[in-house]
Amino acid sequence: MLVQLLANGILSGCIYALIALGFGLIYTTTRTFHFAHGAIYTLSAYLFYTFYSLYAWPVWVAVILATAAAALAGILIDRVIYLPLIRRGSSRLVPLLSSTGLYIVIVNFIAIVFGNNTKIPSPGVQPTLVIGTLVLTRSQLLALGSFVVLFVFVLVMLRTTSLGRKIRALRDDPELVSALGINPLKTRTIVFGFGSSLAAIAAIISALDVGIDPNIGLAATLTSAVALFVGGVGILEGAVFGAFLLGTLQALTIWQVSARWQDAVTFLLLLFFLTFRPQGVLGRRHRSDEVAV
Amino acid sequence: MNYLFQVLTIISIYSILALSLNLLIGYTGLLSLSHAAFYGIGAYIGTLSGIVFGLSFFPCLLLAIAGTVAISFVVSLPSLRLKGDYFVLASLSFQTIVFVVLYNWIAVTRGPFGLTNIARPTLFGFSLSSDFAYFVFSGIIALACLGLLYLIGHSPFGRLLKAVREDEIAVSALGKDITRLKVTAFAIAAGFAAVAGLLFAGHVRYLDPTSFTLLESVFVVSIIIIGGAGNVSGPLIGTVLLVTLPEVLRFVGIPYTIAPNLRQIIYGLLIILVLRFKPQGISGEYGFE
Amino acid sequence: MSVLVLDHVSKAFDGIQAVKDVSLTFEHNAVTALIGPNGAGKTTLFNLICGFVHPDEGAIYYQGKNITGLPPWRVTRMGIGRLFQDVHLFDRLTVRENILTAFQNQTGENPLKAVLLRRRMLREERSHNRRALELLDFVGLADKADDLAENLSYGQQKLLAVARVLAVDADTLLLDEPTAGVSPALIPDLLDLIRKLATSGKAIALIEHNMNAVTNSADRAYYIADGEVVSHGSPNEVLGNPTVRMHYIGI
Repeated sequence: MLVQLLANGILSGCIYALIALGFGLIYTTTRTFHFAHGAIYTLSAYLFYTFYSLYAWPVWVAVILATAAAALAGILIDRVIYLPLIRRGSSRLVPLLSSTGLYIVIVNFIAIVFGNNTKIPSPGVQPTLVIGTLVLTRSQLLALGSFVVLFVFVLVMLRTTSLGRKIRALRDDPELVSALGINPLKTRTIVFGFGSSLAAIAAIISALDVGIDPNIGLAATLTSAVALFVGGVGILEGAVFGAFLLGTLQALTIWQVSARWQDAVTFLLLLFFLTFRPQGVLGRRHRSDEVAV
Repeated sequence: MNYLFQVLTIISIYSILALSLNLLIGYTGLLSLSHAAFYGIGAYIGTLSGIVFGLSFFPCLLLAIAGTVAISFVVSLPSLRLKGDYFVLASLSFQTIVFVVLYNWIAVTRGPFGLTNIARPTLFGFSLSSDFAYFVFSGIIALACLGLLYLIGHSPFGRLLKAVREDEIAVSALGKDITRLKVTAFAIAAGFAAVAGLLFAGHVRYLDPTSFTLLESVFVVSIIIIGGAGNVSGPLIGTVLLVTLPEVLRFVGIPYTIAPNLRQIIYGLLIILVLRFKPQGISGEYGFE
Repeated sequence: MSVLVLDHVSKAFDGIQAVKDVSLTFEHNAVTALIGPNGAGKTTLFNLICGFVHPDEGAIYYQGKNITGLPPWRVTRMGIGRLFQDVHLFDRLTVRENILTAFQNQTGENPLKAVLLRRRMLREERSHNRRALELLDFVGLADKADDLAENLSYGQQKLLAVARVLAVDADTLLLDEPTAGVSPALIPDLLDLIRKLATSGKAIALIEHNMNAVTNSADRAYYIADGEVVSHGSPNEVLGNPTVRMHYIGI
């Protein structure tokens, strides 16, 4: 039982990790708390549902279109909402609030078009893989597979490509970047596009697993934020580590306490880290944490 | 006519919420996403005091305020050292935890089953069961709260809160304890939210945790963004606008099923537009920069 | 007895030693100048005294008491006022309000008293307003009392900052480059004020790059470079020191 729960925890961690990876890329590179990431998650899920279940297009077409649409939406949000605010010199709270407003708009629009009830893109029982006492569904295997492939891809991209270097530079010192003449705009575009695609993939896998409703995005945003801040803000591995930590912790909570208290445990964990170790498990303290006089 | 009094009662309740949150956001510059949590805690403590101990309204109100303020210290003392994003996240965490507790601690709060048939207060032997009577009652309490918040804001204390918003380092260099200032502001805001909570419970006569979610906290924040922060007129205008908006939609004939969603879309759009084009809101003194 | 003492204080940031084994004393009735190249650690020393930064080694004593590690607000309440190099004004408050925040022990700073002791609060406000206008008048900003601080010119902002620290009425003042950015016509009056504050009994610590200011106003000076005290004595002695002349003045 415990083994199954832990396996479930790790596998839900894969979904969280995909979302958190995208959210984390955006946050560490642009320092924007992209609350609307959850809206992109919901949007992708519903677009996939539309293409796959309503129009009955082949599954790969639906996946690619939904993911591409998500990437486009993410880039548009950055251009239309965030960049004008940043150019104006806003503090970081203003994009966060606008992002929240945007989340509300998108999610409610989806609710009007599709209704508030849960939709299931893939009805019927899922095929499973049985290993000893462990039962793994197709969705869980998809999640694991996608996560591994994409995470390795991101790690390789960050370490070896010039784009990766630019992202790491932006992450470490945004002001320095403009001085060095690296064009932040192109990097932002790629980061928002790719980050949104990750969210889309996570959304599609989850949609095939448990179905969709307009509120799934909120949990996605919040979980990825918790994963990022608990795992470690300055580094991407932190978001992933945090995601698995959360997945495991939630599984343990379900086992020891009850599923209903999951969220309380998640946020108590975040509060603990914010209070005692704001840089997260894997992060490092920055000089700017000391008072700048 | 009754309908009008109900709307006016809701306006009274939300004006208390907005003006107290204004002390945190507009004056001190603290973006708190946990105001609905205190709104809810106050509502539950006050109502349960009445049900369990059989107390009348004002003792319940005092207990609600005291309990909510005490709980506010649990949140504020650890999290008020945090800057910017981190404080917002901490307040968001607290809000979610409170919701989960209210929802799942069924033994005490009855969770999603709710507390039903909450009695209207009785003053001097006269039961406030009519919508008109309850509106007058809430209106008077709201005016009292607004008056107190005005006095608190227009004082050296209020001035120091604004100074904290502008430059914390300078405030400490002037010999003022920033933590004490922030914790006090937080406690005051929580106390007034508790008053609003108990008034709300008496108005709808039914309590369940879904009235006190993160989105409700965001709603009160958006009243301040859209109406304006820092002064008195901003939050009041924001309250009237956002509370009457759904009623206006109803009159215009928007279908019952999509009205709540459409209302949210409108106020989401207003947040985006205001922050982009008119950061001080309709009538605020302090712009969100 | 020296009123303010730094005893073998050291501080490093991210592995870089900003302050190395520095010992300083400041006396009542005297202006003590800290001079030296930019980045030498002078402002860091002020931050250490005020408590914005805590030393890795060493201790700081004020009026005989160990104040090392105290939070800045407590240090100020003990009697040390601070003027910052980068002003730190309350931009969106008015000029008058900037001064009003500086007065100590105001009844209205307690919200309960602000409501219950309203009349007393209002009386104090009136007398503080009068005092604030006096200070503003002194620095020539009285006619701008109700302007927002952010709308002042840089020189005017520095003068406002000076008026604000005066309102604190502290026994000891740490002034970080008070004349920088102030129009030359006003500098003599400012220096005059600084001398008067000293002769009235205060201890003044002055960071300055303006050598005239130092020779005319300071009683003693420390030359600080690379986080260490290289020379100290009267301003003329220090400025006459060959090492100082070579590094700092370039002769």
